[in-house]
Amino acid sequence: MISVSLNEVYSETYKALRSVNIEWSLAKDCANKSKWLAKHGQYFLGSILKTADLYKNNKISISINKNTNKKPLATALLGLLLVEYVSANKITWKGYIDNSKFLLAAMGIIAEEQQINLTLENEQKEIIAFTKEKKLYVNSNLDTKVTIYSSLKTYNNIEEKNTKFTSLKKNKEVTNLNDKCWERLKSMAFETYVPESETSKSGAGY
Amino acid sequence: MSFKNTKINLDYNHPVRPPSTVMKLDRLGSFHQTRLSFTRRLIDDLKYQKSKIEIHQWDIDNSGIGSAIIKIIFKKEILSLIIFCHSINDEERTDRVIAEKWDMTFSLFKGVPNKNEINQLSKNLKIQESGRHNSKQLTLSRANKSQRIFEKVLNDLSIGKQPSAKLINDVGYLIRTTAVYGNGKFGIGDFSNTKGNEFLEKPFQAEMLTVYLIRYFSIELINFLAKKRGGKKSLTLSKHLAKHLGVGNATGLGMAPFLVNHQELIHQWIYNREIAISRVFSIKRLDKKTQNKIVNYIHQAFKYSLQWKVDDQLQSKKINELNLDLKKILQNTNLTKILNFNYPIKTLFDFYKDDITLETQEILNSVFIEPFPELFEDLINDMGAKEQKSVLIGFNVNDILNIIKDNYKWALEIDTTKPAENYCFWYTSQTKLEPRLGITKKDAGIDKQLPFDIAHQIKKTLNILNKLPYDMTASEVMVNQPELRNIIQRIIINKSLPYSEIQNNLIGKDMKPIDILRCKLSFFGASKFDPKSDLWTRITLFQGAPMPNELWKTNVNNWLFPNLPNV
Repeated sequence: MISVSLNEVYSETYKALRSVNIEWSLAKDCANKSKWLAKHGQYFLGSILKTADLYKNNKISISINKNTNKKPLATALLGLLLVEYVSANKITWKGYIDNSKFLLAAMGIIAEEQQINLTLENEQKEIIAFTKEKKLYVNSNLDTKVTIYSSLKTYNNIEEKNTKFTSLKKNKEVTNLNDKCWERLKSMAFETYVPESETSKSGAGY
Repeated sequence: MSFKNTKINLDYNHPVRPPSTVMKLDRLGSFHQTRLSFTRRLIDDLKYQKSKIEIHQWDIDNSGIGSAIIKIIFKKEILSLIIFCHSINDEERTDRVIAEKWDMTFSLFKGVPNKNEINQLSKNLKIQESGRHNSKQLTLSRANKSQRIFEKVLNDLSIGKQPSAKLINDVGYLIRTTAVYGNGKFGIGDFSNTKGNEFLEKPFQAEMLTVYLIRYFSIELINFLAKKRGGKKSLTLSKHLAKHLGVGNATGLGMAPFLVNHQELIHQWIYNREIAISRVFSIKRLDKKTQNKIVNYIHQAFKYSLQWKVDDQLQSKKINELNLDLKKILQNTNLTKILNFNYPIKTLFDFYKDDITLETQEILNSVFIEPFPELFEDLINDMGAKEQKSVLIGFNVNDILNIIKDNYKWALEIDTTKPAENYCFWYTSQTKLEPRLGITKKDAGIDKQLPFDIAHQIKKTLNILNKLPYDMTASEVMVNQPELRNIIQRIIINKSLPYSEIQNNLIGKDMKPIDILRCKLSFFGASKFDPKSDLWTRITLFQGAPMPNELWKTNVNNWLFPNLPNV
C-alpha cells in the first residue's frame, strides 16, 4: 500500500488521462472529481483506470446526447459538464451513465461552489441523490454505485417522502492505495512527459 | 475609509491601475518585495503568535555532518524543522533541481517526530523526490553550501576574524536552497489540511517558515563549526553581518506555470498589491515624520541599488538606470516640498512617472507602501483564494464574446500566425517532472505541450463563438465542444478577477520566463534578483530580516531593501 496526498491524486489523475488523449479540461474535471471523492472518503483509483481503458477502446461515450446501455456516458469525464449544462439550461437530462460515483462528485462540487439544487433519479424515478444548501445527500436505501439509466434535473421543492437520505458514507483510508494500481496511474502520467532537450538544459543551475 | 491603529482616513479612492497596465510581463518582471510579501507577513505572524524558536536537538559533528531539530513553539502547537547534513563532494554540488545529493536536507514537521518518524525521515529526506514522505511533513527542501563564501567565512571566524562585509554583501547567503516543496508533493501533507489553522492556512506560510529556519540554522551551523575548528580563538559571526545573510535560492522554469494555472490566486495577489498602491495614493496629507520616512526609504532603495550587483547585462543596465533615477529623485531640492502637497504620494509619482523606468516605478511603489502597514492589514491577511472547480453558470455566447472584447484586446492584437508568436512551447520534462520550455522548430514534444497558448486559444474561440447563436449557454457550447472548456473557464474567471491573466503571448519569441519568475518571487519577498539567463535566477530570501531572538522587538519588521554600510 502507498499513502498519497490529495494533491497527488489530482495531479497524477490529470496527467494520466492526458496520456490517452482525453481533452485537457475533461482530464482536469476528472482530477477534481477524484480529489473530491478522496476527500469525502470514496474509492476512486480503480474507476479512473477503468475509465482510461474504456475511453481508449471507445467503449464509453463522451456525448451527453449519444449514450446507450452498451456505451454509457463517462461520468468521470463528463460529470461536471453535465451538471453545469443541466443547471444552466434548467432541463431534465435522461441517459445512461457508466458510474454514478463521479456524477455524485460533480453534484457535490457544484452544490458547494454554486449552491445549485439538483436531483438524480433512477429509471424507477426514485431519488438516488440530491443537493441542498451546499451539501450532497444520498438515498441510503439504494445502491448508488450501479450503472443505470438516470435522470438529472434542477428542482425548487423536493419531496423526500419516507426515504432516508444521508451524507455519503465515508470509508477509511481511501488514500492508502494499491501500489500496483498507483504505479500504473503514474506510468500513464509519465507518458505525457517529454525528454529533456538542450534548450531546457539551459535552465536552473547550468 | 478608516482603519484600525492609524489616524489616516481616506476620503478619496484613487483608482487602481487597470490590468492592461499591470499584467504585462515587463512590469510584472520589475516587481520588488513589498509589505504584503510572504516573508514580511511571516515575521509579523511569528511576532503576533509570540512564537518561540529553539534548538531542540543538535547531533552535528566537527565536520558538519549529522542531524538537528529546531522547534517552533506556538500557543496551540509545535512545529519542527528536521535537518540532516550530509557529506558530498564539490563536483556533486549543483543548483540544478535534478541533483541527487545535497549538503543539507530539511522538512518542516507538524509536532516533534518520534523515533520511528525520525528513522523514516532519515531514510527519505536525503533522497528528496525519490523518497516517500509523511503527511505530517509540511514541506520538503534541500540546500547546498555557497562555494563562494561558506568555507571562507568559516575559516575567518575560526581564526578569530570577522569575514569581509563586502563578501557577505556580494553573496548574501551561506547556503542556497534548490527547491522548497509544499502542498502534498511526494506524499507530504496537503495545504488543504491547514484550513482553520490561523498560522499555517496562509499561502506559502509553511514554505517561508522553512526558509526562515534554514537561514537561522545556517548561521548557527557556521558559528558551531568555527568554534569546533578554532576553539577559544574563534569568533561568532557579528550580529549585523549575520542579519545581512539570507538564504539563497535558485529558481527556474518549474515555478513559471504556477501563475498561469492559478488564476484566482494570482489575481488576489496582484489586485491586493494594486489596492495597497491606490490607498497610499489616496492619502491627502503626510506629517513631517512620515515624509522623512518616505525620503529615508528612497535612500535605502538607492543604497540597495548600489549594492545590487549582477552579471546579467540586461539586469545590470536596469539596475544602473534605477540607480540614476533614484539619485535624480533624491537630488531634487523640491522633494520635501512635493511631499507637502495634497495627495503627496500620488503627486510625487506623477511628477516622475514618465521619466523613470519600470524598475524604478515599481521600487517606488514598494517604498510608498512600506510606511503604512496598518493600512493593509486586511490585504496582508487575505492573500489566499478559493479556486473554482466548476465553471460558473449564467453565461451565454454573447456574454463570452463581450468579455473577450473587453478583457482580451491584448490577445486579439497578437498575430498568432507569425512564426515569432509560435516560437516556443511548454512541456513537462521527463527528467525532472517539471515544466520546461522547448523551441517549436527545434525540440521534440510539441504534441505534448501544455495549454499555455492563451492568446491563440482566445482567437480560435472567438471565431467559433461568432458562428453560434448568441443566446446559447456557455455550458451548451462546452458540452458540444469540450476542447473550448479550458479557455471558456479562463474567460469567465477573468470577468470577475481581471488580474488573473498575464497579458502577453507566453509562447512568443519575446516572452522572457524570468519576468514570470520575478513576479512570483517578489510576492515571496525575494531580493537581489540575479538572473543567470532568461530561464532562471538566483535570489535571496530574508536578507536583513530579524533573527528569532529579535522577534519581540518593536518595529522588527522594518527591513525593506537591506544594505550594509561602508561596502
